[in-house]
Amino acid sequence: MEAIKIYLTLFATSIKARMEYKASFLFYIFAILSFYIGQIGLLFVLLNRFHQIKGWTMGEMVFLYSLHAFAYGFTNLIFSQLINFDKMVVDGEFDRVLVRPLSPLGQVMFSKFEVSTAAHLIIGSTALYFGSHLAGIVWTLNKALLFPVIVGGGVLITGGIRLMVTAVAFWTLRNQSLVHTVIFSSKEFINYPVNIYNNGMQFFLTFIFPIAFINFYPAHFFLDRSGEGLLHPALEMGTPIAGIIVFTISIFTWRVGVNHYQSTGS
Amino acid sequence: MQEDNIAIEVKDLKKEFKVSSSGKGILGKLQALFHRRHKVITAVDAINFKIKRGEFVGYVGENGAGKSTTIKMLTGILVPTSGSAEVNGIVPYKNRKKNAAKIGVVFGQRTQLWWDLPVCESFDLLRVIFRVSRFDFNRQMEKLEKALGLKPLLEMPVRKLSLGQRMRCDLAASLIHNPPVLFLDEPTIGLDVLAKENIRNFLSEINREEGTTIILTTHDMNDIEQLCKRLIILEEGRIMFDGETEFLKQKFVHEKVIEVEFHEVGCVIQGIPGVTVVREQGCKKWLTLDNDNSGIGEVIGTIASQYKIKDISVKEPSVESIIRNIYDNRIRLSTP
Repeated sequence: MEAIKIYLTLFATSIKARMEYKASFLFYIFAILSFYIGQIGLLFVLLNRFHQIKGWTMGEMVFLYSLHAFAYGFTNLIFSQLINFDKMVVDGEFDRVLVRPLSPLGQVMFSKFEVSTAAHLIIGSTALYFGSHLAGIVWTLNKALLFPVIVGGGVLITGGIRLMVTAVAFWTLRNQSLVHTVIFSSKEFINYPVNIYNNGMQFFLTFIFPIAFINFYPAHFFLDRSGEGLLHPALEMGTPIAGIIVFTISIFTWRVGVNHYQSTGS
Repeated sequence: MQEDNIAIEVKDLKKEFKVSSSGKGILGKLQALFHRRHKVITAVDAINFKIKRGEFVGYVGENGAGKSTTIKMLTGILVPTSGSAEVNGIVPYKNRKKNAAKIGVVFGQRTQLWWDLPVCESFDLLRVIFRVSRFDFNRQMEKLEKALGLKPLLEMPVRKLSLGQRMRCDLAASLIHNPPVLFLDEPTIGLDVLAKENIRNFLSEINREEGTTIILTTHDMNDIEQLCKRLIILEEGRIMFDGETEFLKQKFVHEKVIEVEFHEVGCVIQGIPGVTVVREQGCKKWLTLDNDNSGIGEVIGTIASQYKIKDISVKEPSVESIIRNIYDNRIRLSTP
């Protein structure tokens, strides 16, 4: 597809532009890596202190964490530019995106290179390795094939949520506080198995703000846990569907938002 | 269906903006948090015009008259509140990608180029984005390089270019895909005389040789006089003149401007029938005479008999002074 080739060129350009400032580029990689080394350290401290939470062993929780890290990492790779998108709206930079014969969303997504992704994927792989090992996951062919599908669904959920929050900027101009609440703070909810929360909260994280599908529900399948304690056993396999629904709604929101774009004076 | 020779057609095009007004001071701002008061501003108010292929149209008006808003609707950036617009037979705000492929856009205030990349890499990227074949690209670039003197700039990062250099590059960038319609929003803003002259020469050349339809907004009336055969004047979102620049000059050419320089400041000109003081600056005054010019000698005689005159000259009004008069409501025009 020609469009894909164009996007890849755009993406390569963003890397080149970033490399123009070599010192800052290297420092950035260094900062990201130290942050994640800290995160892994924290994980091991937690591992040694607790043994079980609500019927989840530490190994199982590490596996939960890995699913989330993968989804989050890939989302960052594809949707990282959306975090600062409100600046494009406030400055009227979005103007130039609209006068090029390419999808506006595609252009925004591919206009930035995010190194932190690599770090997310490293921590995800580490957690996956230790999680599988500690929880004694038996990797059948089915599981191996479904793993990328589940991660993909998770990317659609986190990416879709991010896109919706981003589109809010078309109406409010600034949306940083919303970005921080919805995208960064909400992550913390699913670092633990969702059944530690009461039913109302579980319902919220399943049907309203469906981030439980990123790791909690699909983990049941990979860990061979019985789905009986869940709101409904079928939710185990709901991740791709939830992903498609969230993403469709978000694309729609974005489209409405683009038509609402006000640009800047003169 | 649209006729083939029409490049742009605008019908009852209207754009309203909702502006939330917050009160003054901290208390007012706090109130605004709970009680948003909206004010609706009509930036473009149901305008109509058609532009034929190959025309060079000046689109002028004071700040806030709605020039940029119109351009932004025609380029697909803004969606109109009501009415319709077609560019090359395409509705720009409904079919952005298709529209973008057939127009060129230059915003004087903002570059289309990649800030951190050398100019030639920006060009190459635009070539890919606009799906221009290498062959066509090379041919077009050769022309643009020569006409705009780009050779020495190609290896420089955009952020190191001067304003004039950047504008030349931006113009070239907007023409890489050789679009039939070109929108220029204040392309000469902030440029020195020589840079302006270069850009004007180039624009008139592509209009003449490629038949490119050009819509130009500007505050510089020399741009208009030198380039635009047709002029559209906007005021508060409405078109108040749409016609030939020459016609505007002809219509007011009989109105002479007398420039008088006195020996001292503070000379008062009063009681001469049909004479208005348009402008004053130090010892200089600019006067206009009402339609009847037969009295021009008398007027000069009267002034000369009252005060000592250092210098006096009679001039035809420039397009700029005509337009200034229109803005100041001194001249009322009916749109033809």
